[in-house]
Amino acid sequence: MKGWLPLAGVALLAALAGVSLLLAGRSASPPALEAGPVEASPAAILAAPFTDGEGRAQVLGQFAGKVLVVNFWATWCTPCREEMPGFVKLQARWKDRGVQFVGLAQDDAAKVAAFGRELGVNYPLWLGEAQVMDLSRRLGNRLGVLPHTVLLDGQGRVIESRIGVYHEDALESRLVAITGK
Amino acid sequence: MRRLALLAAAALAGACLAAAPADEPLDPDKAFVPTARLVATLPSAPGGERHGIDVEYRIEPGYYLYRNRLRFEVTPPAFLVGPPEMPKGIEIDDPFLGKSAIFRDRVTIHLPFAVSIAKPGRYKVKITAQGCAEERLCYSPFPQEVVVNIPPGYRVMDLPAQEPPRGLPR
Repeated sequence: MKGWLPLAGVALLAALAGVSLLLAGRSASPPALEAGPVEASPAAILAAPFTDGEGRAQVLGQFAGKVLVVNFWATWCTPCREEMPGFVKLQARWKDRGVQFVGLAQDDAAKVAAFGRELGVNYPLWLGEAQVMDLSRRLGNRLGVLPHTVLLDGQGRVIESRIGVYHEDALESRLVAITGK
Repeated sequence: MRRLALLAAAALAGACLAAAPADEPLDPDKAFVPTARLVATLPSAPGGERHGIDVEYRIEPGYYLYRNRLRFEVTPPAFLVGPPEMPKGIEIDDPFLGKSAIFRDRVTIHLPFAVSIAKPGRYKVKITAQGCAEERLCYSPFPQEVVVNIPPGYRVMDLPAQEPPRGLPR
């Protein structure tokens, strides 16, 4: 019987580890999920028209050659706002390593600007009308949910498209894998 | 021995739960399910006299709708409806947007008739809704539609108390 005691201890520890892992996972937002098939061509993605906070026309194509992290979000979307401080830190760490973040929202321009200032967002927050969610859907966001984050290579090709909260550490690991830096 | 088996089972269950992939979010039409029906009640009824369309939402656990972002449009606009009558909902205090309200579980929104007689016909209630899956993601404005039929002879005129509710479909 004594021989079973160490095994029982190991089993108990494993059970506790499993439960604590589960609890840790539940305490934060679940990780982002892979989105559906992409239907937009790189040319269409890079040429999609948006406007910046001053009303000037902007396109993603101006960042060709960089790895783009395109984040679809909205000020009323709490999970979107929760993931953005992580994006701000990543943009600061990766700005000299060929990575550019861009936020795209179909939202009230004043609210977007206010949130950008409040959080100290260090990447462009662009606006659009229906074309924002239209592009998001063509990038695999079948359900039209937010946040939706898409990683593009330097030619506008989709590397990854995920819905839900993209945690800072997971996204950084992905950037390391993509850029090799 | 039995105790050991139980412990091993607990360990396995714990490990499996921890490794379980995140649930796929529901399609908005499954997370937020609206139905519509005609209502006509007498002044003596508990809620007083009411004529119009009740849109009831069944909302999946873990999901919620934003109260102030619900929009309703009745087509064809053969009869007018007044502003939607909604419960107060659950108040939330958003650190950025301030106070707002949400609906969980079930909610009924009343679209009152603003005229005394509604013409018979098939009416579509076009809804634009916004909601979220708790702490996971939010649904950008999505369209939904429910239909109500007003049968010939349907009358929503004021009725004297104690009489049968003739306003109900025959």
